[in-house]
Amino acid sequence: MSSYSEQRQQSSTKIITVIKCMTCDYTVEREMKDGDFVLKVEGKCPKDNGTLYIAGIYAETTQPQSQKK
Amino acid sequence: MFDFLIAFAQTINNQQYTLLTTIPFYLLFIILMIMSMPGIGQRFQIWIMARDVEQGLYRIEKFLNDAKSQTEKLLKENGAKDPKGVVNRLSEMLLIEPVNIEPTDIIPRLRLLLRSSEDKVRLILSQNVQNIDPVLRSKLEVSAEIVNTLNLLYKIIRHYLLQAKKLNSVLILYQLQMVVPIYVKIAEAYAKAQNAFLKGVPVGDSLGPLVASRFLLNAKRKWSPSRDTVAGEVEFEGRKIIVIKAEGPMATVGTPGEAVENVIEEYGGKVSRIITVDAAAKLEGEDTGEIAEGTGVAMGDPGPEKIAIERVAVKYNLPIDAVVVKMGIDEAITEMKKEIYQAGEKVVDVVKNIILERTKPGDVVVLVGVGNTVGVAQ
Repeated sequence: MSSYSEQRQQSSTKIITVIKCMTCDYTVEREMKDGDFVLKVEGKCPKDNGTLYIAGIYAETTQPQSQKK
Repeated sequence: MFDFLIAFAQTINNQQYTLLTTIPFYLLFIILMIMSMPGIGQRFQIWIMARDVEQGLYRIEKFLNDAKSQTEKLLKENGAKDPKGVVNRLSEMLLIEPVNIEPTDIIPRLRLLLRSSEDKVRLILSQNVQNIDPVLRSKLEVSAEIVNTLNLLYKIIRHYLLQAKKLNSVLILYQLQMVVPIYVKIAEAYAKAQNAFLKGVPVGDSLGPLVASRFLLNAKRKWSPSRDTVAGEVEFEGRKIIVIKAEGPMATVGTPGEAVENVIEEYGGKVSRIITVDAAAKLEGEDTGEIAEGTGVAMGDPGPEKIAIERVAVKYNLPIDAVVVKMGIDEAITEMKKEIYQAGEKVVDVVKNIILERTKPGDVVVLVGVGNTVGVAQ
């Protein structure tokens, strides 16, 4: 059984922020920044100038190359 | 390697060879004889098992110390004069359960004790940190709760280990050896949870508030029906939906039971349905993010909040629906996984279908997003 620290070294976790438009289907994802929270307004939509908001924040765990093989 | 063995075999005579092969056999025989003597074998077994438990205990202690130092750091950064003293005080805080041999009024008594305990922690924190804002306060409260839980885990396991050693009890050690790996896993999840809460990232348990936030996006009116809880009124296909969730983006579960009770009383009981959405512990073999529908209040509460919903539903004869998303206990308190986030998107549609299927235009429906609302506003 691998230890906690070993497991942390083996995989890295990225926190993703999902931004959506209130009026169209525009969606964009980026890495989470300090101060992000769900329903925070994030400017205007480049597609239809609607209001962009944070729809979700989730963690994505990526395994290093050697693990994938 | 083989060349060396051949060369070695050629250099020794038959007598030496016999001696070399018989000595290990005699040694093994003597060890087995000693081990089979009354008491010695058992002591050896105790020593081996105790070492195993100690390793687990050492890991829990490490998680505890890490959680303590993170909380101390946060207190220090925000101007607390004696962060170590505050953390030690909070780590030893206990809640004495109400008398259950006489169950009458146990719910109000339990509610009083839970709220008083919460108030006490808030008071200690606000006395030690000047100009504390709700977000920082909730981060410190959750950190204090994590430190308190890890401290309790560590002390209970240490207690049984020391007792087993004192009494030379193999039976206590057998039980400890069986449960310690489970508690190490739980402690590890708590250690990871602290990082998520401090960063303000939604956790798996934030699924209910996440679903509620989707409905609250276009709420015309929002108000606070109870402590740390918000409600919002939205229109959907001719129905009025009253959405209730804990007040975010602070790390709190709010008081959803009291909120539902107050909202339904405010509408004079003229509500057609209550829908509860929450995270549920999955069984081994089930997939994370599996959605299940049911009847009853979906809520992992010690009692007061859940019973408040059941009582008001009975009073006005309201059906209660439950929609749950399955996840591991560790997944519920650590950063929300992609599968859970995606399940949340699907739950929004499931809830909409329930509303369309089981209510008619003009009805009022209460939707409750149960769970910790860290990183999820309204």
